[in-house]
Amino acid sequence: MNIESSTSQFPVSHFNFSRQIKGNETEIIISSYEDHFLVIATQIGTMGTILYARKEEGVSINPTFNVSVIFGKRDEPMLVACARQLIEHMSLSGSSRPLVLSLGLRDHSVETLKGIVSAVMDHCKR
Amino acid sequence: MDSDALGKQIEELKLKDQLQITAFSEFVNDVSLHFQIIRFPKQIFVWIGYNSAKLGHMYAAATTRPNNMVSVTSILGGVSDNTGSGIAHRLVLKTGLNIILSCSIPKNSPMIETEAEKILIRKLISLGYTKSRLGGTSL
Repeated sequence: MNIESSTSQFPVSHFNFSRQIKGNETEIIISSYEDHFLVIATQIGTMGTILYARKEEGVSINPTFNVSVIFGKRDEPMLVACARQLIEHMSLSGSSRPLVLSLGLRDHSVETLKGIVSAVMDHCKR
Repeated sequence: MDSDALGKQIEELKLKDQLQITAFSEFVNDVSLHFQIIRFPKQIFVWIGYNSAKLGHMYAAATTRPNNMVSVTSILGGVSDNTGSGIAHRLVLKTGLNIILSCSIPKNSPMIETEAEKILIRKLISLGYTKSRLGGTSL
């Protein structure tokens, strides 16, 4: 059996950063896979609720999106809204990869969710 | 400073301190296995890539009440293929933490699955993420 550690670049790029959102220290990790984006935003030390968002292939000019909770809180519409905003922004930036979004947040207010969206999109532009 | 604010500050320091991302690859039997381990204070996310950077099937595993048995559920990728669910299960046993595992190893590859799990456990031990055994016997 041939086992050796690869010295070539790791196929998945990821970066993480911290941001204060509404007074809460938020760690954000963005990981780019071949067929998905993974975004984790946590304030509580766990991944929290995990959502899946993708662009639907359709015939009309305006794209439609499908967002669902795959693990965790299913009764928080703000989380779904956050995923919806992010997938739309990403789609407008040209990517049609689905998004796995993990949100472990202290509060689900509009300001916090807006903060998450802007933090992620700021970094995606770079 | 009241105790709530202090408690929150301590938690935030723990989060910054314990958030760690480890990424490495190994070449096994003509196949490249890629591993990404993201450690949170109370949870670990693991991705195992088989020759590619595809996300694969995602599983969530944790101990559940009342008797701390480990439960695993598929959260992405459908239920017809459960390659990786066994790994998720055993990771919970070894680390004592909640696990989210994403694995693109194809089905019917038990040798690769076993090898990937071995490499992963070895790495988790070296990073200090595993529970120490009672009685202090060597790992």
